[in-house]
Amino acid sequence: MNDSNAPRSSVSRRSFLRCAGGAVLSLPWLESFATAKSDLEPKAPAQRLAFFYLPNGITRRGFFPGELDRPLPKFAGQNNVWRFEGTTVPPGTHPLTLTPTLAPLEKMRDRISLITGLDRTFQHGTDSHAQCASCYLTSVAPYEVEGSAYPLARTLDHIAADFIGQSTPYSTLELSCNDHKDNIESIYFDNMSWYGTGHVAPSMRDPRTIYDRLFGTQAHTRSRNITDLALSNAQRLQKRLGNHDRQKFNEYFDSVRTIEKRMDRIDRLKSELAAANIERPAEHLPRNEYIQLMGDLLVTSLQVGLTNVGTLMVGPERWTTATTWEGILDKPYSHHAMTHSIAKYLEQLLILDRFHVSVFARLIQRMDSIEESNGTTLLDNTIFTMGAGMGDGMTHQYNDLPLVVAGGGGGKLKLGSHIHCKIGTPLANLWLTQLHALGIERKVYADSNGTIGEILG
Amino acid sequence: MMTSFLTRLALVLLSLWSPLSLAADEFATDLQPAFEVHCIKCHGKGDKVRGKVNLLTLKSGDDLLAQPELIEKLLTVLKDREMPPEDEPPLPEPQRTEMIERLQTMLRQVVATQPFKSTPIRRMNRFQYNNAVVDLLELDRPIFRLNERLMRRRDDYFRPETRTMPEQVKVSCRPLSKDIDNQRPEGFRGVTSFPQDQRAEHGFDNRADHLTLSPLLMESFLKLSQTIAESPDLNPEEVRSWKWLFATPDQTKDDDTDAAHAEAIESRLKRLLRRAFRRPVDPETLERFTKFANDQLTSGASFEQTIRTVIAVVLGMPDFLYFYETPNRQDDQAPGRQRVDDFELASRLSQFFWSSIPDDELLDLAEAGKLSDQETLSAEIDRMLNDRRSSRFCDNFPGQWLQLDRLITSVPDPEKFPKFYHGDGYRASMHMMAEPLLLFETIYIEDRSIMELLDPRFAWRSGMLRAIYAGNFKAKHNVQVQIFKREPLTDPRQCGVMTTAAVMTMTATPTRTQPITRGAWVNTVIFNDPPEPPPADVPPLPEADHEELAKLTIRERLNAHRTREDCAGCHKKIDPLGFALENYGPTGFWRDKYENERDVDVSGVLFDHDEFQTIVEFKQLILKERRRFFRGFIAHLLSYALGRELGTADSPALDHMTAQAMAGQDHLRAVLKRVAMSEPFLHKSTRAPEGSTSGEN
Repeated sequence: MNDSNAPRSSVSRRSFLRCAGGAVLSLPWLESFATAKSDLEPKAPAQRLAFFYLPNGITRRGFFPGELDRPLPKFAGQNNVWRFEGTTVPPGTHPLTLTPTLAPLEKMRDRISLITGLDRTFQHGTDSHAQCASCYLTSVAPYEVEGSAYPLARTLDHIAADFIGQSTPYSTLELSCNDHKDNIESIYFDNMSWYGTGHVAPSMRDPRTIYDRLFGTQAHTRSRNITDLALSNAQRLQKRLGNHDRQKFNEYFDSVRTIEKRMDRIDRLKSELAAANIERPAEHLPRNEYIQLMGDLLVTSLQVGLTNVGTLMVGPERWTTATTWEGILDKPYSHHAMTHSIAKYLEQLLILDRFHVSVFARLIQRMDSIEESNGTTLLDNTIFTMGAGMGDGMTHQYNDLPLVVAGGGGGKLKLGSHIHCKIGTPLANLWLTQLHALGIERKVYADSNGTIGEILG
Repeated sequence: MMTSFLTRLALVLLSLWSPLSLAADEFATDLQPAFEVHCIKCHGKGDKVRGKVNLLTLKSGDDLLAQPELIEKLLTVLKDREMPPEDEPPLPEPQRTEMIERLQTMLRQVVATQPFKSTPIRRMNRFQYNNAVVDLLELDRPIFRLNERLMRRRDDYFRPETRTMPEQVKVSCRPLSKDIDNQRPEGFRGVTSFPQDQRAEHGFDNRADHLTLSPLLMESFLKLSQTIAESPDLNPEEVRSWKWLFATPDQTKDDDTDAAHAEAIESRLKRLLRRAFRRPVDPETLERFTKFANDQLTSGASFEQTIRTVIAVVLGMPDFLYFYETPNRQDDQAPGRQRVDDFELASRLSQFFWSSIPDDELLDLAEAGKLSDQETLSAEIDRMLNDRRSSRFCDNFPGQWLQLDRLITSVPDPEKFPKFYHGDGYRASMHMMAEPLLLFETIYIEDRSIMELLDPRFAWRSGMLRAIYAGNFKAKHNVQVQIFKREPLTDPRQCGVMTTAAVMTMTATPTRTQPITRGAWVNTVIFNDPPEPPPADVPPLPEADHEELAKLTIRERLNAHRTREDCAGCHKKIDPLGFALENYGPTGFWRDKYENERDVDVSGVLFDHDEFQTIVEFKQLILKERRRFFRGFIAHLLSYALGRELGTADSPALDHMTAQAMAGQDHLRAVLKRVAMSEPFLHKSTRAPEGSTSGEN
């Protein structure tokens, strides 16, 4: 896609934004580039797409309407596809019921829809936790990629960014609230964003590093030295490679070119970034503030036009070691281990789930208070989905996934209800619907067999 | 017996002229009848297809030849006496031997024409990157902190050329101890690293298919190269290459400074680039870099600054960041297989033994076309193994092989195991970590048999570790400074990596042991046979109230898994290996009774045919089964050496190396050398691997 044709991200600001961890965002109101250039009529703000991922499934009885009095599910082994039918209402559109876990969304109830009954199909041969995160946004159906144990190819965020993320310095942003110090899990547990099969778009975990990268004022000019020499060397090298290696080696060209483009775009955004007077995060934050700050970094990046597409995992999948839940739970626990002893840890799990939902609620509230150039809000122009790759952490089921869609999708979404899908509706239907809302025409996405028209306005 | 010998002789003779059709005959006469009698009852007949193995569909030798993976599988279960299972009529020994030989011949035939799996082009991992920069610029310490190194040597004891370990060494464990010991900060000032690479499942962190590049990482690399080049620690005191690389050229009176500098630039860059890119630099590339450097000089940069800028650029070049091999122009003998060229061989060797780039000597030999010469190669391997840079092999391989990073996050219940914790958050695991690593280093430095990994006659002990094993935590110990002494081992219960406190602790939960986790560890690590993940519908453990549960032993509680027929198959393999270790509690100390006063029962049947009652008997049996360990260990090494998963084509080489180890050539350095001179190590694949990824963008 040609840069000049791409919709230019609109960069309007709001004065003072209070951030988690006490950081104060001070953004003076600036004219967007589009308006600064001349026209009195401001261009429509860019469409944004974001994901808020819940690891290790959800505690069903707190989340799903009508399941509060159900018996607790039993452990059924990893790689499970046990059907724990969550059906409590017939398929169709229903008024929104806010369960205890969803209660923090009360204020935003008109801006969200709860979607239940969506399934993914498990491809045998990999760990269920690894697959549920890494393939949550995948664009291929199970068993479609030959030679890969994961049904994994370019993920939704990148596919969307190919259209709506071409004018921002970062076409996508990948964040994960993973503060584990050990290295016990493979990349598949901690990354939901993939350029392609086996090619991870690695998530950033440390708020300070993220801050320095996104809002740091260091000059990038020195990198320019390198790119010419690097690209000519790379061309010579590539000629000598075998076919398969040639393909893989494209990652080097892609990376260097992306960085080149980014340097240009950041130069253009320089005044905005300099004006974005964000405090550098503290080295250590309690878990609750850490998660909130990661969310704020995502929202601010969407706001100032650093990116239009972002994913945030509020934790990695599995990772059996204990997490310090400062500000959320009293003692260190492993989230994954708790989900395996649901009877013992029910109370903690419900607190944790509710906390995660409250962070999501706070973020969409904040987005709704950020005004954009044409009088709409950031939330109006965003599709922000909260969800998990497992319908329950105990059963490891891939069916009846918990999903909440928020935002206006630039006027394309009509939310405020509970939509229950009929058995066997693929999660990919929701992703296809979102692509359509973004104006990206596609007949199918992964194993989709339709769209969820109920959320389209 | 005689007839069978004659048949075999006849077959061998026949095989000389028509190997493939012969295999088909062998199939009809030797294999198929045996399958019919002993196998198809569960593997094909009446829709019963256990373990996805269907032998009824095999109509001819060609059917079998078309499935080398199946041949390999059959060989494994026959050699390991896994099949037929014990409750079926036994397979007579001579017939088993004969089947193994037939199948081995078939496998050799079929894979002789198969390409090896290829190792894709891949960027360096973080450990390799550090070492490559250190070797390129001739530094004496890491440029950034490396948690990949689980143990730090605090004495200068790593001297492989002496072939002796001292009786006492001083070490520390950085990942567990933070900056407690007033060492100067690790790494060069101002240098910012990139995140540690994650290990592949059942693999190492150098696995090529896991090492990809993203804009995010490329950005880190660019920043990293700049911060390295600009670090104030890059100075004449720290850098051995200062004189020939950074120092402003000496000036004679009549010389034109500019000309002298330009000349120095060219010759220095030529040397630098060859080392950085691991092959001679072509004239055009040299010219581009020379021009770049001269432009810097012309624009007023000092000579030293120019070299720094050039280094920042060189470190970001794909030729430096990537390990790769290229197809040879002309085709070699076997289809799909080509010899690696001498420069590629140099890189493979340096990655394997030094986790780094080749040094000038290797490159000189490669440039002269001598490196692949058998004698030269053998001598070079000896030199590399005697070089202290081989410490990186000991830093990298054993920790990952044993999965010791799991110990970093082991947190036994502080109420149950108060002595595990010491002041300021120090843990006993800091000392546990060093024990298996020191054992490995000793076997490497002193070139001992790899069997000693499982059964040494000595052990490394710090005061604290001694107390842990004795179950006596009372003594006051210095936790920070770890002085380990080498002690002769008298108690057979405490020898070898398998039962170290490190492994026992990291495979336990905070409150109890996990026999199945331990069994899976032994299968994966010691025998290189990782169990399959559990099937889709594992039933929950039977519910029982707490009082009732408290009376049971863990074995009784887990018995549920083993009674179900479809679970039993795997658990029969996993569980005995784990239950055998039940005498070692959740922090590795010896116990005869559980907390509920029930006796610990470790008895079991190993590999389906050897009964044992005690851990000592169990260890004896494992030693008896050393072939499995040898093959497993050599396969771990080969996979590490090549940065890829192994395939059927590697099988004959593994068998060969295992046989040599069985014949007594089982010393670690001999094994390492054999791996580095094996067919898979000396060859590359020229075919695209199967299942090329689609959808990549």
